[in-house]
Amino acid sequence: MAHFLEAKGITKNFGELQVLKGIDLSVNKGEVICLIGASGSGKSTFLRCLNFLEIATSGSIEVDGQAIDPKTSDLNQYRANLGMVFQHFNLFPHMSVLENIIEAPIRVKKVKKSQAIETAMVLLKKVDLEDKAHEHPARLSGGQKQRVAIARALAMRPSLMLFDEPTSALDPETVESVLKTMRVLASEGMTMIVVTHEIGFARAVADRVCFIHEGRIWEQGSASELLDNPKEERTKEFLKAVMV
Amino acid sequence: MPSFAHLFETFVSSAPLFLKGALLTFELSLASVLIGLAIGLFFAFLSLSKIRALNAISNFYITLVRGTPLIVQIFVLYFGLTDVVQISGFLAATLALAFHNGAYLSEIFRGAIQSIDRGQYEAAKSLGMTSYQTYARIILPQAFLRALPALGNQFIIALKDSSLAAFISMDELFNMATTQGANNFDQMTYLIIVAVYYLVMVMALSHLVNLVEVKLKRSGAT
Repeated sequence: MAHFLEAKGITKNFGELQVLKGIDLSVNKGEVICLIGASGSGKSTFLRCLNFLEIATSGSIEVDGQAIDPKTSDLNQYRANLGMVFQHFNLFPHMSVLENIIEAPIRVKKVKKSQAIETAMVLLKKVDLEDKAHEHPARLSGGQKQRVAIARALAMRPSLMLFDEPTSALDPETVESVLKTMRVLASEGMTMIVVTHEIGFARAVADRVCFIHEGRIWEQGSASELLDNPKEERTKEFLKAVMV
Repeated sequence: MPSFAHLFETFVSSAPLFLKGALLTFELSLASVLIGLAIGLFFAFLSLSKIRALNAISNFYITLVRGTPLIVQIFVLYFGLTDVVQISGFLAATLALAFHNGAYLSEIFRGAIQSIDRGQYEAAKSLGMTSYQTYARIILPQAFLRALPALGNQFIIALKDSSLAAFISMDELFNMATTQGANNFDQMTYLIIVAVYYLVMVMALSHLVNLVEVKLKRSGAT
């Protein structure tokens, strides 16, 4: 079966520093992949290369069999099809929750405003924030902000969702509400790539877990294989350190 | 010093003239600030461009404006422009003041745009928005809110600076004061009166800026 997304030999240099040293990753439709690893291992950079927020130094990315070339492809159109959720939410502070969600569907996809609002309200209900539609982000807790960010990304009806440490900036008591939203998404068959430190989430939801170390996929496997029976010494050390 | 009674009496009797001058001052300031905003935004983008030549152009403009007195700029533009094309004193004064304010406004805009978090660009990009949409809908509205106090301050400076248009014979407030003072051999009275006019206009303007800021804060937009 052809993969939905295929990244091959992705490298990324920042000046002299090589952050990614050749990463290959294939993603099937409906698959949930968790990327784990220490900070500085390159997992976030890799994720950002997938939607060209960073342009990889070398390597190729294919989606649905189509090679994406940052020089010739319409990156805006490509990105509109991938949802991204950031560690620090990056909501638009001058807009209400509802306006945050309908902005891109209206401007980018040219959806009618009334219809965008309708979709947004369904999504807000899904993330359990329908009563906050007219608040500004500044009035929300971290967990609420992140759920709005997820709704904003979903409003574009993406075929793949990228999560860049979605719970790392949250207060412990609001983490669960975000993870719950993500579990629901996964159960509905959304294709997801999640950079996370939440080993419990990875164990429960991921179809595949990749341990990234020094800019490479050091080891990968099913959640139980990698998390419970890691083969590599580095993976064992990392898991021991994060699971105390 | 003129007596208070004399001051008050002159203030009332000169009001029709001075209100006309105040109106012209207001029009001059408003027109120059509006044009200055457009110039300022344009040069802010030149400053922020990745293209060196564009940075250099904006740098040259800002250095020129900051490095020379406003009165010199007004004279050069006024005599320079009226030499080449037939334009009114009002237009010449407006353009000169806009040219001057534009440099300061461009620095205000540049700073405000640079202060917007990189994550805002990334979020807009990740949603498929074009650069134009990102600036128009996401970056500039936030930058403008952030720049508001500094913009208000620059507007106040522009209002007071417009008094220099008196030197190219615009019948604005300050010119009224000097001509009336000279005609009536009573400089001090008219200077005090004109100071009051400026003070009231500046206070009204600061109050307006404050109101807008409070309103924006309350809406949670900043």
